[in-house]
Amino acid sequence: MFEVLGFEFFRNALIAGVLASVACGIIGTYVVVRRMVSVSGGISHAAFGGIGLGYFLGIDPLLGATGFTVATALGMGTLQLRARQQMDTIIGAVWAAGMAIGILFVYLTPGFAPDLFSYLFGNILLVPQGDILLMGVLVAIIVAVVAFLYREFQAVTFDPDYARVMNLPVERLWLLLLVLVALTVVMLIRVVGIILVIALLTLPAAISRLYTTRIWSMMLLAVALGIAFTLTGIGLSYLLDVPSGATIILVSTFAYAGALGAERLRQGD
Amino acid sequence: MTAPVIEVEDVWIRLRGHTVLEDVNFAVHQDDFYAIIGPNGGGKTTLLKVILGLLQPSRGAVRILGATGAAARRDLGYVPQFRTFDFEYPITVREMVLSGRLGHITRIPRRYDAEDRARTEKALETMHIIDLADRQIRDLSGGEQQRAIIARALVSDPKVLLLDEPTVYVDAPTAAQFYSVLDRLRERMAIVLVTHDIGVIPEHVTRVACLNRRLYTHDTNEITPDMLEAAYHCPVDLIAHGVPHRVFSEHTKEE
Repeated sequence: MFEVLGFEFFRNALIAGVLASVACGIIGTYVVVRRMVSVSGGISHAAFGGIGLGYFLGIDPLLGATGFTVATALGMGTLQLRARQQMDTIIGAVWAAGMAIGILFVYLTPGFAPDLFSYLFGNILLVPQGDILLMGVLVAIIVAVVAFLYREFQAVTFDPDYARVMNLPVERLWLLLLVLVALTVVMLIRVVGIILVIALLTLPAAISRLYTTRIWSMMLLAVALGIAFTLTGIGLSYLLDVPSGATIILVSTFAYAGALGAERLRQGD
Repeated sequence: MTAPVIEVEDVWIRLRGHTVLEDVNFAVHQDDFYAIIGPNGGGKTTLLKVILGLLQPSRGAVRILGATGAAARRDLGYVPQFRTFDFEYPITVREMVLSGRLGHITRIPRRYDAEDRARTEKALETMHIIDLADRQIRDLSGGEQQRAIIARALVSDPKVLLLDEPTVYVDAPTAAQFYSVLDRLRERMAIVLVTHDIGVIPEHVTRVACLNRRLYTHDTNEITPDMLEAAYHCPVDLIAHGVPHRVFSEHTKEE
């Protein structure tokens, strides 16, 4: 299958897979340790509203999704901090409302919405050069912010009350973390699609959690696992001629199940 | 008498239409070991949160060493309730204790310097957990976890240590060990301890108050039956420390 590496679309797919895995491993680690899985699910589904908005305005849907998702993350974070509503209800509402907005915008857009399906389920083999560039910029931002604020994020995700007692800007850090989740989600849309984002965001980090003792080592292993899963998934989907996003997710899920099973056996001894 | 470390003046807290704290007044002095007891839901954690600045009082003020505002909180060491902790979080004991220094770092980006590291090692030694420094917090026993949480509070060199229900999840020998640790710390800082468990009030406390929305104080270290009855709204038997005893007699249901 190595002759396929000669094709530009395939090289782009591999680059996109690696970039997405880096973002996933880093941000997914926070999502897993802070138990933000459902918030991230809400943010990622709300991204569909941004895709629809992009179609409606005639701009790159991914650009629409970036703005819309970041705004959703900020809104949801603010609600969580201020309103004393049940968070799971808010997440459910935002989740559905985002999808609904997307559907309306797509309906209102004259003509046919091309590759709408690939935003929902991902198609990494069709990632254009421009999106690779956008993904590269987003990864650079994510890595830089986390490197700069590693200690603060650790304090805020470990024990927010204590961080507040120490006068750290807890609210701003929390919102920033949600924005990073939003940016990561946007990157993953190309790779696995809106509906499957949450799995790639959390599974590598969840497996890594079993074998690591610190945030940074958990991130490194999660990135490595993410790369392994996406590349395996891309290769398999090419060989078997099946959808890439779904293949990547199933590879990750099998690995997670395997890791949990192995852990069970190890602890049983 | 020197200025109080903590001064709580006429503090009221209303949360969602309920008065949680009502006209609370008290002062903690440098050499105090202050125990605040009261039933669950009596406002103990809320009172600590007001002192820590996590909650704004609807009325009244809290002064730390005569000052209000965020900077004053740097002199507080906080040991939160055990069950609020996520011990599954991937962090080593040393990292966790070191993170207690973040509040004292003003440069941006916040980086730990030699002093932060030295203080961390010292706090680990004080709490006798230096051997566990590179272990994950989830691999520690309950008593060890608790000492790690206290070590984190100690690295900020607090003038007063606030402890929320510190002995709820530890067994009796661990609790005894824990109180001997507090006795050592008393030489360096004031201590405020809140608990619902009257049986665990250590013998070395200097003052006791009962909290159930209002704070019933007494200028000695004795819990008087009046205070308890006022706080718990039910008759309570009180027997000397160190003697196996029954605290509540015919405990009627609250509220």
